[in-house]
Amino acid sequence: MSPLFERDREALRADQLEQLQLERLQALLARLRRNVRRYRELLGDARVESLADLGRLPATTPENLVEAFPYGMFALPLREVIRLHSTVGPDGRQIVVGHTRNDLDQWGRLVARQLVAAGVTGNDVLQICFGGGFFGQALGYMRGAEVAGACVIPEDPFHVEYQLDLMKNYRATVLITTPSNARDLVEVIRARRMDPQALELRALVLSRPVGPEVREELETGLFARAFCGFGLPEILDPGLAVECPEHNLHVSEDHFLVETVAGELVVTTLAREAMPLLRYRTRVAAQLECVKCPCGRTGVVLRPGGRLDDRMTVNEVPLYRAQVEQFLAQTRIGRQPFALSVAGRTLELAVEVSEDIVGDKMGLLTDLKAVLESEFQARFGIVADLRFTSPSRKPA
Amino acid sequence: MLVIRNLRTGYGNLEAVRGVTLHVEAGEVVALLGANGAGKSSLMKAIVGLLPPWGGEVRLSGRAITGEAPWHMISHGVVLVPEGRHILGDMSVAENLLVGGYHNPDRQLAIGEVFERFPILKSRARQPAGTLSGGEQQMLAIGRALAARPKLLLLDEPLLGLAPLIVRDVLRVVRDLRDHGVTVFMVEQNAMATLGVADRAYVLETGEIILEGRSEDLVRNPEVRRAYLGKGYKEVWE
Repeated sequence: MSPLFERDREALRADQLEQLQLERLQALLARLRRNVRRYRELLGDARVESLADLGRLPATTPENLVEAFPYGMFALPLREVIRLHSTVGPDGRQIVVGHTRNDLDQWGRLVARQLVAAGVTGNDVLQICFGGGFFGQALGYMRGAEVAGACVIPEDPFHVEYQLDLMKNYRATVLITTPSNARDLVEVIRARRMDPQALELRALVLSRPVGPEVREELETGLFARAFCGFGLPEILDPGLAVECPEHNLHVSEDHFLVETVAGELVVTTLAREAMPLLRYRTRVAAQLECVKCPCGRTGVVLRPGGRLDDRMTVNEVPLYRAQVEQFLAQTRIGRQPFALSVAGRTLELAVEVSEDIVGDKMGLLTDLKAVLESEFQARFGIVADLRFTSPSRKPA
Repeated sequence: MLVIRNLRTGYGNLEAVRGVTLHVEAGEVVALLGANGAGKSSLMKAIVGLLPPWGGEVRLSGRAITGEAPWHMISHGVVLVPEGRHILGDMSVAENLLVGGYHNPDRQLAIGEVFERFPILKSRARQPAGTLSGGEQQMLAIGRALAARPKLLLLDEPLLGLAPLIVRDVLRVVRDLRDHGVTVFMVEQNAMATLGVADRAYVLETGEIILEGRSEDLVRNPEVRRAYLGKGYKEVWE
């Protein structure tokens, strides 16, 4: 049996978990009613006497979080909030996520659960490489690593070549990174004709779940056992679930009450202080499975699927269609029909323009393409390949 | 050990405890914190049957004891040290302990242990209990409960009206009881002092639990300050 960081919480019996969740849910409702206007209006005198009553409670949507920008969902005065993270909402507007000191400590412990499940001990040297663009996640892993007592390398070079040099020089034993960055590292190792066994890596913690083929490719390419973290930027990312050595993604159910509604993962945060959420519709497809896992963890197993909205991920960066729409509307192109597709790490953007413009002013469009692609990258950190199509040819 | 689900109780038309759910594991010290009038003592009374429950359930080691008469509680191993101590002032210290151990066939042994734990009570065994100081009376009230060898010790405001030095002594006793495997559920207004000895705590406000957590987390929680300081703190609450 693999070690558990918080055995008394990760291996709760069903009756213990039900009691704890009910206690925390009732306390959460009392706090929300007192401190968050939106919930006070929605909840009225609604009470829960068992977890079966959860379905009667109002849901929270990503749109609600956007509407509450910036601090409308906070359950504590701003002076109690010591960190603000943000993520992008469904129409491209920001969602602010606040954390109190206790929230951050809790986050550290939840991430430490994942790291300990990956075998991390005080003897490990952890290299956290997110290529600079995923600061929030890196901070979560940093906190978790410190709680777990491991040694962390805070340097995060943008270039993969330097990352590999760092890994070799510091003899890192655990790499925490995105699947894309891990792939880049594998390519560099191959290009240098290096033997991955020459590295000291033994575990690879990926920032999001990947399929079995990618997992195998990365495990072979880096000669390390892969574990996938899971989180939601609107709540905590990482930290919602722990992938055990059996590759089961156990939800940390003492902190998160999860359900699926029409195949969508719905999460209630049971212990968050600054921004607790009731029945948050995550827009992530998921299945929940009760598994008697040999690892000893009793948390329900999450099998996450794809997104249920039009959010796409391009080279690990989330992007909504509405963001592209807003971007184009602010340019000379204006509001034209367009189609999006992801090809590798590039966003293919096909925009319809009227036939006379295509025919008469092709040179102008070529210049515009270069300008817009550059602006797109500057704004979203995404490489876009812009194509102009005529209205008769529907964009693919 | 103690599991409470949706417990409600009150006085006349006033609902003082509005659906409380909590639990205490064997060997834990768990505190219930809240301001004056939050419903703490009413909850304690409902657990031991001094107030009839309006609804909900109290289970001890898996067995439902909801609404059972107070005098049955001792046979379940539940002993309450009431607020204000309620020692028998005209009786001697030793007699108070004998009353506490009345149902316990091993009471002489248990009383011997109480004297070991509280040497001051041994030295005053023959003295009328009413002549003891406030702190000593609190020790006697706890000692009287221990003479029954409880599985679960309920302490209702054990720090109320005690001098700071005596508060420290009482908390030391609670810590010592926990170290010797006694399960303690204590109701207290003195939040910060209590969180120093409790493993976990609940915060009660107007009859509802608003927080549950480990003591080290609750010490820093702003809601604890608000619940503990009561309505006045709301003026600076945005």
